[in-house]
Amino acid sequence: MDEIFDIFLLEALINGILFGGVLALLSLGLNLIFGVVDVVWICYAELVMFGMYTMYWLAGVYDVPILLAAVAAIGLVAILGLLVHVLIIAPILGSPPINQLLATGGLLFFLQSAATLMFSIEFRNLGLRLPILEFNEMYFSYARLLAFGVALVGMAAVYLFLTRTYIGAAIRAISQDREVMVLMGVDSKKVYWVTALVGGGLAGLAACLLVLQYDVHPFVGISFGPITFIICVLGGLGNMIGGFVAAFILSIIISVGGLYSEMEWGYVLAFVFFIVMMFIRPQGLLGKK
Amino acid sequence: MSISKYLKGFAAGLLGLAMLSLPANLSAKEIKIGVIYDYTGPLAAGGSSLHALGAKIMIDYFNSIGGVEGYKINAIYADAQSKPEIAINEAVRLIEQEKVDMLMGFYSSAQCVPVSAKVDAMKKFMWITTCISPAVLKGRNLENVFRIQPHGGMFGTTSPDFVAHYAKKKLGIDPSKLKVAIIHEDGPYGSGVAGGNEAGSKKHGFKIVLKEGYAATSPDLSSLVTKLKRKRPDVIFHTGYNPDITLFLRQSRELGLRWKALIGHGAGYGVPDKLYEAFGNDANYIYNVDPVSIWLIDPKTLTSGLGKITEMVGKEYKLAQPDVKTFSAHVGMAASNVYTFFDDVLPRAIKKYGGISAEALRKASSDTDIPVGGTLMGYGVKFQPKGADMAGQNERAFPVVVQYIDGKAKIAWPTPLQTVDPVLPLPKSSPYAK
Repeated sequence: MDEIFDIFLLEALINGILFGGVLALLSLGLNLIFGVVDVVWICYAELVMFGMYTMYWLAGVYDVPILLAAVAAIGLVAILGLLVHVLIIAPILGSPPINQLLATGGLLFFLQSAATLMFSIEFRNLGLRLPILEFNEMYFSYARLLAFGVALVGMAAVYLFLTRTYIGAAIRAISQDREVMVLMGVDSKKVYWVTALVGGGLAGLAACLLVLQYDVHPFVGISFGPITFIICVLGGLGNMIGGFVAAFILSIIISVGGLYSEMEWGYVLAFVFFIVMMFIRPQGLLGKK
Repeated sequence: MSISKYLKGFAAGLLGLAMLSLPANLSAKEIKIGVIYDYTGPLAAGGSSLHALGAKIMIDYFNSIGGVEGYKINAIYADAQSKPEIAINEAVRLIEQEKVDMLMGFYSSAQCVPVSAKVDAMKKFMWITTCISPAVLKGRNLENVFRIQPHGGMFGTTSPDFVAHYAKKKLGIDPSKLKVAIIHEDGPYGSGVAGGNEAGSKKHGFKIVLKEGYAATSPDLSSLVTKLKRKRPDVIFHTGYNPDITLFLRQSRELGLRWKALIGHGAGYGVPDKLYEAFGNDANYIYNVDPVSIWLIDPKTLTSGLGKITEMVGKEYKLAQPDVKTFSAHVGMAASNVYTFFDDVLPRAIKKYGGISAEALRKASSDTDIPVGGTLMGYGVKFQPKGADMAGQNERAFPVVVQYIDGKAKIAWPTPLQTVDPVLPLPKSSPYAK
């Protein structure tokens, strides 16, 4: 029994939850965009990558205060999100879903290549070594605690934005019925623009926290893109609370599963759980039929 | 002027052109070489682009001195994009469409394994400069594939040999009581080296408390780190690319993993500038197993003239990357392995076997017999013959163990090449110290 209920299990569990915070933050914006615009941005993690580069150049190279750099990164990626919508998504809104997927998939490769040309293939990092948090012989990542806290705050902020503001109500209305809301006078174009801006901003927010933990390079999205997408599907595409819950479930399975078997088995177990849930609840954990 | 005069003039012109072009064609002999590395994708910054640079420096050098035995080198550079399927496609494209005479390069073992089989089946010649997985050659009896690098098994057994030598003397632990962990990326490269780590550890009687692979693109290694904390190894043998290495080091620091020695095996561990950029002086005292950096070799121990080649590579490296602080062993490794081909193998193929066909190149490679000190990296070259367990593998190659101290790489093993008395165990000043 000692072997099972040891301090390392508790540490793995808490680290799983903290990793879940990172994933939840990533899935938040992608879910918001899908819920409203009904297009999956396969390239979402690449927007995060541009935010990480912004942080690197401003805070790491030009010594801009880190909070100011974070504001700039969030703003820049928000604008990038808007541009993606206006230039790529808007013209194909009426196209079959496969065409939309291909378009955002193509954009993914474009963004990776553009980053390679602009920033080279080098791995870059802020060189920050944050303090270590030790509690009762357990150690936790300061950067992950921060990401976890920000994910909670971000989730609450988005929830309040959607429920307490006029534009938030319009966004929810559009996400429920695109055609009827337009007939009722809602300016769908404006709603889409705001959604893309907020979704992009959330990608920028995630970037600010990821750059504290990971090197940035043009292909950093490979590590996060697929699992973010899976979390969104598991939670119910477009359902932000579902995505939030799914992020923590998957991260805990990965973390604890990886502790008691080979690390790869943690991922295998997580994906088996995902596949089984797709049979039981194809609409996602909290998705509506 | 009559029409007949025009015709005569036209014919004379044609004849003149033909005569001019005839000697030109005769003198413009060339060997067309497909050079494949990863110029984009995660492996590029993990070390592949540095190998590509080393190869290019050497190809440009030979062209600048007039080529090899009258043959100009026409290199066609191709990007494998850090993907095995792209590497295969590019190899086939270069052979079938570009009609290259041979292929050269290859950083990733995951690419080398399928590409080498494909190229051999197509009866083309392949000169591997970099990838080290034993699976590339072991038990496959490939005829046209040659690797001058030491293979992963050699990498894997070198580190346990080093640790066993110093276990009692510096760590105060009998080898039979020494706890080691072997962690590795789960591709052919990591698995091959880990296999050598395991065999070496068993040979010396170490206690292997953990042996585990992980995906190099994994976004989180915290459960692996926690598991290592539970197992409390004294020494960790790690084989990875990048950015998994930096992720592992970062999470190890954050989660309080401690060790007496961390020994990496090439790839990301072979780029000290990046380690110091990310971790500052916390990167001090990390060990790395790699073929020796050409800049750490005393030129006096090499065949006469090789020292000047090393100087030339360093000069070109600095020109290509003015900001480089510590010359990476990767650049010198590829440069050395390419140099041996153009300086030794290719001239023999042309002079003794009549040209640059795959058969001539194969025969010339099989004849190679370079003693210790005959390459920029100091080791000799003799390929295992057809029918051997690892046919085409250079059996005279060997890696060394270097230790990073204040940004500089020092040779810690084997003892005859030592430039530093290894710092072992990790000093208490390090956040990773046990």
